[in-house]
Amino acid sequence: MIPQGGIRYLNPKITPTVQTMKFLTALKTALGLAPGCEKVNEFLADYVEGTLDEKTMAQFEEHMDMCKCCSHYMDQYRQTIDMTKQLDDIVVPAELAEHTMFFLRNSEAFSKDEG
Amino acid sequence: MKPTNKAKPERAGAPPDTGDMVTSTADGAEDAISLEALMAGDEKAFEQLVVQESPRLFRVIVRIVGDDDEAESILQETFLQAYQRMNTFRRESKLTTWLYAIGINLARASLRKSRRLSSLEDQEVERMQPQFNRGMFVETPAVWDPARVTEYSDRQQLVRRGIEELPEDYRTVVTLRDIEEYSTDEVAKMLDISSGAVRVRLHRARGALRKLLDPHMRRLPRQ
Ligand SMILES: [Zn+2]
Repeated sequence: MIPQGGIRYLNPKITPTVQTMKFLTALKTALGLAPGCEKVNEFLADYVEGTLDEKTMAQFEEHMDMCKCCSHYMDQYRQTIDMTKQLDDIVVPAELAEHTMFFLRNSEAFSKDEG
Repeated sequence: MKPTNKAKPERAGAPPDTGDMVTSTADGAEDAISLEALMAGDEKAFEQLVVQESPRLFRVIVRIVGDDDEAESILQETFLQAYQRMNTFRRESKLTTWLYAIGINLARASLRKSRRLSSLEDQEVERMQPQFNRGMFVETPAVWDPARVTEYSDRQQLVRRGIEELPEDYRTVVTLRDIEEYSTDEVAKMLDISSGAVRVRLHRARGALRKLLDPHMRRLPRQ
């Protein structure tokens, strides 16, 4: 099924729509009307955190809609964060707090009132 | 009513500022410990603090030093110093933030002494960021296919190794923000750097981690 479309999709160099979008984005960026990929990339952390102001957010989303590069990158960026958040590989020793309290009681820091 | 910083909304589900009580921020622990009791050197209150904060602080220290035994002894030293220096706590931050700052500093000192090096240098982290030409992407980033790494343990290992490769400053910011989910402002106070610096470091760390994951996550061409 649509092998040609698939190939074109994977190779942006021969995808006219992507080139056109890039051209439009580049044109708008050159005219100072819209942020380019690099600028949009700087907004990514704030976008993900939901701290972009309304105007920047609109520019950001407009760019994302027409730029395959940035939307792919954002997808990778989000998956990176998601995978990081799911990390729970460190096993906390069961008696960690008890060990610490034992250490503190033996250090003479504690029990100064009792003596 | 305290003035709120609109640039930094609290994440959903975060507990409200409880003033004189010490709560575990990211979890929203139910038991608040009286700050007055802690400041007065109350042992019971301090024990509550140890019980409440040990697991998370231990995980943060393990990520920095990369060794469980060493992390446990740093954790103990952290609480000892906190207990002894309680009178220097100025209430300009949360007590837990102050506590973590002590722990992180001790962990960093230990890491320097051990000379355990992460495999990436700062300049490499820079090179791992996306490349732009005249403000536009040089090459189209690949599409990622989550189905490529479906085994839970494989995913864990992939991400853990990636994080271990990051230079310590980057690793620590990712740990505090993305794994332990402290706010940008809290992380800034823990590390004694600006919120802006936390944002930049976090963004670069994620960018580098993304680059390390990329070869494992790219959608494979259809056969
Ligand atoms: Zn773009």
